[in-house]
Amino acid sequence: MSELALVFFLLVVLLVLLGAGIWVAFSLMAVGMVGMALFTEAPLGDVLATTIWGHSNSWALAALPLFIWMGEILFRSKLSEDMFVGLSPWMNRLPGRLLHVNIFGCGVFAAVSGSSAATAATIGKLSIPELSKRGYPEQMMIGTLAGSATLGLLIPPSIILIVYGVATEQSIARLFVAGVLPGILLVVLFVGYVMIWSLLNREKLPVENEYFTFREKLHRSRRLIPVILLIVGVIGSIYAGIASPTDAAAVGVVLALVLSWQSNSLNRETFIAGLLGATKTSCMIAFILAGAAFLTISMGFTGIPKLLALWIGSLGLSTYELLAALTIFFVILGCFLDGISVVVLTTSVVMPMVQQAGIDPLWFGIFIVIVVEMSQITPPVGFNLFVLQALTGRNILVIAKAALPFFLLMFVALAAIVVFPEIVTWIPNNM
Amino acid sequence: MRKFLNGLYRFSLYAAAGFIVAIVAIVMAQVLLNLADRIAGFLFGNAIGMTVPSYADFTGFFLAAASFLALAGTLREGGHIRVTLLIGVFSRPVQRWFDIFAVAVALAITCYATWYTIALVYDSWSYNDLSPGMVPVPIWIPQSSIALGLLILVIALLDDLVCQMRGAAASWQGKGENLLESAEVE
Repeated sequence: MSELALVFFLLVVLLVLLGAGIWVAFSLMAVGMVGMALFTEAPLGDVLATTIWGHSNSWALAALPLFIWMGEILFRSKLSEDMFVGLSPWMNRLPGRLLHVNIFGCGVFAAVSGSSAATAATIGKLSIPELSKRGYPEQMMIGTLAGSATLGLLIPPSIILIVYGVATEQSIARLFVAGVLPGILLVVLFVGYVMIWSLLNREKLPVENEYFTFREKLHRSRRLIPVILLIVGVIGSIYAGIASPTDAAAVGVVLALVLSWQSNSLNRETFIAGLLGATKTSCMIAFILAGAAFLTISMGFTGIPKLLALWIGSLGLSTYELLAALTIFFVILGCFLDGISVVVLTTSVVMPMVQQAGIDPLWFGIFIVIVVEMSQITPPVGFNLFVLQALTGRNILVIAKAALPFFLLMFVALAAIVVFPEIVTWIPNNM
Repeated sequence: MRKFLNGLYRFSLYAAAGFIVAIVAIVMAQVLLNLADRIAGFLFGNAIGMTVPSYADFTGFFLAAASFLALAGTLREGGHIRVTLLIGVFSRPVQRWFDIFAVAVALAITCYATWYTIALVYDSWSYNDLSPGMVPVPIWIPQSSIALGLLILVIALLDDLVCQMRGAAASWQGKGENLLESAEVE
């Protein structure tokens, strides 16, 4: 297979560039340039310029800096502290205590953001300083964040499900509803794992001797009200039909500003620091996305993804074998392309194959999203890993190792929806 | 010279931040108009249908400007992600050469991208391309924000290359976020 040799060659180029310390965005662009220059006749520079422009001025992408800014504002206000003071009395009885704040925090925030990188960045900014101050083990702290932040892809409104729905002509509303049960399943698996781990590793967790009556819990939780108001404001504006995710993000920024102003933590200094922080983080993500967009276009020109998918199709596999092959295929692609690119690039080729095998395209949408979620926390290119690297200053292998148990839990969830497809299809079919 | 360059990076980063504020402003204006529409529809039975003209287009343009004008400032403050795992095993002097190599590669790619982006802007200008929305904007205007951002990145990378060749540390050395209390900063 000369195409496979080609894929292997480009993968090696990518790994060498990344390993030599070239910035991720530049590495992606360089591999795209090499692939296009060597294997196509297309006008490289012109395609590069139009791709960078075309993929950077996007209405939907504008939600990204706004949600990041919202997180920066909240991070600099007293709200993050309040969230912990308010949640901790309720989590005290659960083995693993405040580690669950990461999972539930990500689950809630995923409902408003639709991007796992933004979820990891926002919740990470809120929770990492608090948890490390309290002495929670770093590995579990990073692992729970990396794992649960991927929920952003599955819990509506999810940008990637919108992309899939458009590309395959599926109802986006049905896809959103189909994501609910698998999302809950993943949360349950994560919470269960943290509880079991905590029971086995009691000595590694900090001791918290605070006990509360129910009234005290409620009293402490009144400090959570601003956070809840913010979430209700943001989600509410989407479901009331007033706002798209980008609109909701803008509402979120304004509400976050109002709340931090009310708690006396907004001043000129914190405003500028938060805004500049958000500008830099979203610039980093947008630049990587621009690089990934160019790599995607370049791969499209070389025809590699199409060849690979056709090759898999020619093997005549059973449904389970096909799904296993596609999982491997998507995880490999996801190692060096971002999730949305993987979906955009492959659905047109893979979908006929999937439908011929009698697989429900609605179900397949959720399947592909979970696989893409898994690829978000696999090195060398996993967006959640990069975000957490930026937040913690730890190197990427340490973070990937912390995320590994959660990767395996996602694999369990994937197996569960293969064996019991009703987890996905039951709600949309009974609406 | 040093003062001028730092001022340039700082100015473009603040301009980028300004565009993010502009996104919030324009999107909020639209949300408030939608809200007013709902209330009007509730009170008088028919909505007026007010919109900020081409607001989705403008949001996209502002986003592109924000992303690209911030490139140089983000580079210098250690905001861009790179894998330092492998080169971390080498001694400082060897790591320095890897840094210089990384800057050189990034500079080459950025120069190439800048050249073709300027060509794209020139083409849009000479064909008088307009954006397709309700308010047709000559597309070269928003496109030039990307070209400008890339050009400033070229300057910043060149700046770093020269400084590092002269033996100075990389501008991003020891910067970037670090939220873990126990983490050691190099």
